[in-house]
Formats: sequence, structure tokens, C-alpha cells
Amino acid sequence: MQEVAVIGVGMHRFGKTGDDIVGTKSVGELCRTAVDAALKDAGVNWKEIQAVTAASSRFSGGKGWGLNGNDVVEDLGSTGIPVYNMSAGCAAGGNAFNVGYSMVAGGMYDVVLVVGGEVMPKGMIQTSGVEEATDPEFLRQRCIGMPGPSFWSTLARRRMFEYGTTEEQFSQVAVKARKCSVSNPYARFQKEITVEDVMASPYVSDPLRLFQICPVSNGAAAAIICSREYAKKFTTKPITVATSTVATMTFDDMLPRGLADPSTECANLHTEAQNAVTSAFEKSGIGPKDISFTELQDNTCYYELAFPEEWGLCKPGQSESLLMAGETTPTGSMPINPSGGFVSFGEATTAMGVFQIAELTWQLRGQAGGRQVPDAKVGLAQTLGLGGNATAAILKR
Amino acid sequence: MSEERVPCVEGLFTEEDGAATLHGSKCTGCDTPYFPRSAACHNPNCEESKIEDYDFGGKGSLWSYSVADFPPPPPHKFDKPFAPYAIGVVDMECGLRLIGQMVDKAEDVKVGSQVELVIDTLYHEDDKAFTSWKFKQI
Repeated sequence: MQEVAVIGVGMHRFGKTGDDIVGTKSVGELCRTAVDAALKDAGVNWKEIQAVTAASSRFSGGKGWGLNGNDVVEDLGSTGIPVYNMSAGCAAGGNAFNVGYSMVAGGMYDVVLVVGGEVMPKGMIQTSGVEEATDPEFLRQRCIGMPGPSFWSTLARRRMFEYGTTEEQFSQVAVKARKCSVSNPYARFQKEITVEDVMASPYVSDPLRLFQICPVSNGAAAAIICSREYAKKFTTKPITVATSTVATMTFDDMLPRGLADPSTECANLHTEAQNAVTSAFEKSGIGPKDISFTELQDNTCYYELAFPEEWGLCKPGQSESLLMAGETTPTGSMPINPSGGFVSFGEATTAMGVFQIAELTWQLRGQAGGRQVPDAKVGLAQTLGLGGNATAAILKR
Repeated sequence: MSEERVPCVEGLFTEEDGAATLHGSKCTGCDTPYFPRSAACHNPNCEESKIEDYDFGGKGSLWSYSVADFPPPPPHKFDKPFAPYAIGVVDMECGLRLIGQMVDKAEDVKVGSQVELVIDTLYHEDDKAFTSWKFKQI
């Protein structure tokens, strides 16, 4: 295995179709901006890129087949390089990063472009793409009608029941996130909000309110990764990939993803995320105590409270007190989502795993401005996607 | 009650004298229940998949719930104007954690309450009432 480095990252700021940020830009245009920025950041010429790993979108581009990496290659100039289009729901960006990482680590390629971009349809994500009684997502939506926000609010309600978490505490997570986003030029929302603002926003799925869940966004992110040896040509201080992992959920998981799940003794509700993160700790030899900051998939504020506990970053039931004491801010003892997270960016589904790599890289280089985690040495990233998919990555300087 | 009642998806459940029966499967090798029906056992620790039809109904305990305050996107169907509803996740006596709409109003629903399975109307189309399983607090 070769050591793998991140030598360039780039993004297109997230926005909403029709706004001043993304307007009517296509996913191709958004990806172009992100890729150009990443190439420039790395100092790498497009013709030097040996392979592309891309997140497959089900919503935009890719010729309707999820061939989003092919779109990028055609746009930048077809050089005949191999393209890998990875599909893993909202974890696809993390998945693309993992495949790129694995191939560079295995010596297949010296330098790879990882990219994800999205133009999202308005409103709640339509999780089922087929009208077939054999598709669990179809059955869940036709027989019950349980959109993403309800999935998240079920988890939030259970946490309120078990730990006494209040709606104000969920709101405080959003307040913290938006405070970070003020210093992030790529965030869609860049204004501070108050707990009162959050509590005044309408319920999307009681107990979760509009400002406590991420909307859908358009955006793109790209990263140039290469072998440690190859990186020497471009920089003396590359960011190293300590590890990158992919996992799926296990049979004993107790959060029903279809209509029903057999009851088990397992208390975990997102075994895919726990499996990915635990595996990352094991493979890298880096433990929860070594993590300077975490970028986790906060589709809703609930995850910022639950995940750190499930992964051993803090003790079960401790998240609320850490949040209220300011310990999850960039300058606290357990910084979570210094980027502003999904609640500040909105979710451009397949771009998110790559967006996290960009934020980890900026933080580890000390380029994160007002949201900088002081002396950040090791960053953890995690994504989660439909189908019980999850990824994790640990980057270090 | 002249209205014709049709399951929103055929074969998942039946309604008899107001009682709900859901049609699932059970692996007799490892005693794992499934809903909807499964052709094979999905338990990786089960050495031999021995699937039988398994009908269930009855009661359970409400593990958690959410509220659909806005209409879900297709393929969900609903009567207009949209009325918010609660969605229960229930630990059934038969050993399944099952999801379903609640008959009870959202403001009356409580985590930990005992519920029973019923069949109720989900939406109307072509002068027919399309039904699904739902939970009702006891």
C-alpha cells in the first residue's frame, strides 16, 4: 500500500436553483468550477490526471445513467482515461473518494480526480425511483408515506424520549452550525440565526423544524489525490489520507429502512455509519481521542448529538451538555462540523462526501479562516446514504 | 359503507371483520420474521433458510413516531387537501419493528403507548378507497 495524499480541493458554492449563487447553472457547469479550482489548487494539469472517480447522481447529468464522471471528462477534454461512476445514494461522494484512494494506495494510478456535483429537484427528495412492489422504498412511500424528514424526526423523537433532549437543544445545534457558516464562502446560508429564529421556523416533521434539517441544494466539490511520492512534485506539505473506508449496515440494525425489521438486541440505529467509522479507527490506528474535529452527515441536528456518542467521541447522553457548553464549536474540545455542515450548505447529495474532503483539507492546512479549528491535526469525515451505505475518511497533516 | 375498499398494494395484508392481518414470512431455522414476504432468510448467521408464510396482526409498543407535516413526494398518494398524520414505529409482539401511519391525531400520540393494527383508508381514487395498515393507540 502506498501512502495517499490530497494535493488539491475545490468547490462551487452551494445554492438553490434560480438564486444568485447557482442560478440556472447545470451540474456540468458546477462540476467544472469545482474541478478547475481543485486542479489549480494542486498545480496539476488536466492532462496529468490518470483516472476519475465520480459520484453517480440519480437527479442530474450523467446521461440519466449516473455517468457523471463521463460528463466531467468530456467537458474537460476527453483524454481516454478510465472513469469510475460510483452509486451509493447520499454516500456516493464518500464512495468515489474511497475508490480513488484505494486505487492510488494499491498503485494502480499516481494521480486521480474525485468529483461529485448535483442539481437537485425542488422539495423533499423522492427516495424511490421505481414503481414496483418489490422495491422496499416504493412500498414505504405508497403504503405509509414516510419522507426523509420523517425518518429523521423518528430518530429525534426517540432521543427526546431516551435522553430528555429538548427542541431548544436541537435548535442550538443549528445556531452553532450557522455561526460557523458565516466564515465559509462556500456555504449556501452564511448568516447567523438565534434559537428563537429556529423555534419560529415551521415544523417540517414534528419535532424537527425547517432550520433543523438540511434542504436540498445545488453544488459541486472536487479533490485531486495522489501517491505521497507523486505529491512531492507539487507540495512539501501534502495532507495525508490516514484511511478511507466504506461500510454497509448489518442485519441486526434496529432502524427499519423498509416496512419492518426483525427485532434484535442491537441498540444501534445506523450500523452502517458506525461500521464505517469504527473500521476507519481500526485501519488507521487513530482513535476517537486523536480526532481534532469531525465533519459528519447532519441531514438533521439529531445526528450531531447521536453520532459522536455512537462512535466513542464522547459518552452516551453527553452530547447535549457538550453542545450547551460550546465544546462542539471550532474552538471547543470536540469540534463538530466547523464547515457549518449540511444544515448550512443544504444537501447536494452526491457532492457531500467530496465537500467533506475539501473542508478537512482546508482545516488541516490552516486555511479555514474564521471557522478554523486551532492547530487541527487529524480530521474525521463520514457520510450516509440510502441502501444502508456509509463511508468514513480520516485525514491528517 | 358502499364504497369499495382496495388494498393500496395487493398481497401485503387482508381485512376481515375490521381486523388486520399482515402477510409476512418466518424462517423456522432461526425464528426470524419478515414483512413483506421474503423468499429467503436474510440473517447471515442463519445456517439454513427455511421460509414459511407467516401471518400476523395484534399489538405492539410504540417505539417512536414522527409527523408528516407536509405531503410526501410521489409515489405516495393522499386525499387533498393534505392532512398531517403521525407515522408510528412499533415493536410488535411478533418480533418485528414495523412502520405504519397512526389513526390517532399527532397531538395524542405518545412514545411507549400500546397500539393495535388496523386497516384504514389511505386515499381515494376512481371512486374506490385505497387502504393500508395503520396503528391505533389502545
